[in-house]
Amino acid sequence: MALLEVRELKVHFPVYGGVFRRVIDRVKAVDGVSLNIEAGQTYGLVGESGSGKTTTGRAIIGLNPVTSGRILFQGEDIGDGMRRSRSRFRRDIQMIFQDPYSSLNPKKRVLDIVAEPLRNFERLSAAEEKRRVQELLAQVGLSAETIHKYPHEFSGGQRQRIGIARAIALKPRLIIADEPVSSLDVSVQAQVLNFMQDIQKELNLTYLFISHDLGIIRHMCDYIGIMYKGRHVEQGTTRDIFENPQHIYTKRLLAAIPDLDPKQREIRHRQRESVRLEYEEAYSRYFDDEGLACDLKPLSTTHFAALPERG
Amino acid sequence: MWKTILRRLLIMIPQIILLSVLVFILAKSLPGDALTGMLDPSVDPSMLQEQREKLGLNNPWHIQYWDWITKAVQGDFGQSFRFKMPVMDLIGQRINNTIWLSLVTLVLTYLIAIPLGIISGRYHDTWGDRIITGYTYLGFAAPLFIFALLMLWIFGFHFQMFPTGGSVAPGLAPGTFDYMVSKIYHLLLPALSMALITTVSTVQYLRSEIIDIKQKDFVLLARAKGASESRVYTHHILRNSLLPIAAFFGFEITGLIGGTVFIEYIFSYPGMGQLFLNSILIRDFSVVTALVLLYGIASILGSLISDIILGIVDPRIRIK
Amino acid sequence: MDKASRLVEDEVYEPSASPSSWQILWREIKRDKLALASLIFLGIVVAAVYGVSLILDQKQIVTVDLFALYQPPSSKFWLGTDYGGRDVFGQLIIGTRNSLSIGIIVTVLTGVIGILAGLISGYFGGTVDNVAMRVVDFFMILPTLMIVIAFVAAVPKYSVVSFSLIMTAFLWMGIARLIRSKTLQERELEYVKASRTLGSSHLKIMFTQVLPNLSSIIIVTMTLNLAANIGLESGLSFLGFGFPESTPSLGTLVSYARNPQTLEFRWWIWLPASLLILVLMLSINNVGQALKRATDARQRRG
Repeated sequence: MALLEVRELKVHFPVYGGVFRRVIDRVKAVDGVSLNIEAGQTYGLVGESGSGKTTTGRAIIGLNPVTSGRILFQGEDIGDGMRRSRSRFRRDIQMIFQDPYSSLNPKKRVLDIVAEPLRNFERLSAAEEKRRVQELLAQVGLSAETIHKYPHEFSGGQRQRIGIARAIALKPRLIIADEPVSSLDVSVQAQVLNFMQDIQKELNLTYLFISHDLGIIRHMCDYIGIMYKGRHVEQGTTRDIFENPQHIYTKRLLAAIPDLDPKQREIRHRQRESVRLEYEEAYSRYFDDEGLACDLKPLSTTHFAALPERG
Repeated sequence: MWKTILRRLLIMIPQIILLSVLVFILAKSLPGDALTGMLDPSVDPSMLQEQREKLGLNNPWHIQYWDWITKAVQGDFGQSFRFKMPVMDLIGQRINNTIWLSLVTLVLTYLIAIPLGIISGRYHDTWGDRIITGYTYLGFAAPLFIFALLMLWIFGFHFQMFPTGGSVAPGLAPGTFDYMVSKIYHLLLPALSMALITTVSTVQYLRSEIIDIKQKDFVLLARAKGASESRVYTHHILRNSLLPIAAFFGFEITGLIGGTVFIEYIFSYPGMGQLFLNSILIRDFSVVTALVLLYGIASILGSLISDIILGIVDPRIRIK
Repeated sequence: MDKASRLVEDEVYEPSASPSSWQILWREIKRDKLALASLIFLGIVVAAVYGVSLILDQKQIVTVDLFALYQPPSSKFWLGTDYGGRDVFGQLIIGTRNSLSIGIIVTVLTGVIGILAGLISGYFGGTVDNVAMRVVDFFMILPTLMIVIAFVAAVPKYSVVSFSLIMTAFLWMGIARLIRSKTLQERELEYVKASRTLGSSHLKIMFTQVLPNLSSIIIVTMTLNLAANIGLESGLSFLGFGFPESTPSLGTLVSYARNPQTLEFRWWIWLPASLLILVLMLSINNVGQALKRATDARQRRG
């Protein structure tokens, strides 16, 4: 049984307009997404900005309302449960936020920030709480003295570590990592990513890893889903996606990965051109009039792609 | 564009209704009713009761409200018990004075604000700017009534440069040239006292706006293209900073109303503000409620005008 | 390792306030000489007024003395006497105390109501927020002064309490609007969403996460409001719709200038009170503006 199972998830936002500010339209941010994440694995959700990958993550943890569809955690429907503050799934699912600057309250000390989930779920004495916070900080590689400092006294990478310490405080099973390194310096990115992998092994975590960076996704993930306009266009193991891409959108994304070898430049350029031509030529077959992808079709036990009907 | 105006107009409807309810509550909580003014103390109490019934004063509140509002819409606010005349006629006698006072104040406000704001913004961090900023600081903090009192004391009584009360010298026939001059003469000190205080926020706004726009790219570009400094100001900076200011005048109305109450009281100027205060003192409450309603409507209209003009000149501030 | 474990054992956990906005603002004031001077002046006035009014015999001050009408300043009456032969200096002290007290009371009351309303409205948003803000807008358009005066006249048993309640009823909207718009900005920040994912309730987030981030703005606004409220109270008292005459305020003393004779020839009755109002408001404003500049600058820097 999968740890997390999402079935036909839809998240639609109303658009208001007109003289009376009534709902005149709906933005279909997520429009029928299904995915399975096995315990201990890392599932990568990729797509351009606006593809609905972040909304998917936020809907799972309850930050965005679910329009329809089901979210099952260990086979149990969490439904709207995550919208409530004291959901029993709250301890099991946690989140790492994209922006390490705005996701830490500037007016709180590290102790208060990391202790927030503990204070909500565990009755600890002040001394116990402090010890737990210091353990957590040690786990993410920060010294015990930092508890009395404020977020602005840390670098971006350190702040993200604080965010991770906070996320693992309740010993969750699943962590939704929403672009956890994209606002960090490239030099720090690898550090934080490797650290996230270490911690995954240590605590037997499952990640839903949201990113637009295919390089990072390839490095981190076992399983990948590629999203476009609120729908999956392709889903498969990292190998399936990188070695045997089926959907034209996936092909185009892969072609766009920069190659550091200057000798390959010409070849890569020609590849990119041919993929672009194929994309433009086949676009109308792969996407409907509104630019939405077709339904996923199984290609193997692990590999699915939104391919058009033959003929 | 039209949608914005329509939406803004629609907002006004609940505002007017809310205002009328508020004034109605006020009218009901003020002591006395329509009969207090019309009957002698010698009248038999049972007659009084009968009259009350006839006038609908014992009806449930919503019916009373409806009666009151339908009359008010037709301009019927009842009788002033003190002056034994319809409230609207009484207000009509005073309204002109207050409108003149407000108009002259408004004109003076802009006459002072625009040059000071421009000097202060254009030459900011010079001595001139510092003096103007100091003045705005002082004017922002100083309560109008203290300032007006000091003005009256210094220029009215001490130097005797201005009359110390009334709206016109006695004994002049309306319509004559002397009458007009006397009227303006009586207006000047009150209006100037108020304008010197109300202008402060406009000066501050204009100054910061000009300093802001001065560093915008399109101004830098105009300079880079070789436009003269005065052309940069007239064509680029002032055009962008003066329009919103011109539109603010509607919002000024609420401030003016409060101001005229103090000014008319201090300078014994026979306008609506003075009528308002006197009516409260002599408990002539039908006048009071009518005035509150009128003032409220004037303020609502003022903000409507400003919102619409602002919406036209500056799409960024359009209400959503 | 040694050091760390020792720290854990030795150091006592002491909850302290979040990075004190007070400290930051105090630093800014110290840098601004005018504001610092104003603050010191205010401190002296407050201490003097509340101190001296404890010693003063209030009854004697408000008692009419027909043998001492309109006395000019002398060694017995430092600031002369008024039309009832009452000591102006004593009235000035008591008046300042009363004006300051009501200013503070109204500022705190409007502050509490405004912060609560603004925080709730801004945090939850939606229809309630929309309607609430339309009502607030409406009251902010209205000429507050006239309505307060009319309601003062309508209250049958008029007292200091009912006066402060009427003022509060019409003055909380400004701060509510401000707090609401700041809360709207604040709630979009990720730390609020993070708190949600960590299991904090809305109430807890509002008061322990969002509110501390608004503290500087609240301090600034309350300071500026204090000046405005003292001005409004003395203005109302000047018109005769503020404090009852048995409780003199600064505005009551100024109102004696309505008598042209007093205005022209007996400056000692009304001028000191007028100047005191002016200087008080100027000082409070100086402090408030300095704080405002400080917070604005910090916001620009991010």
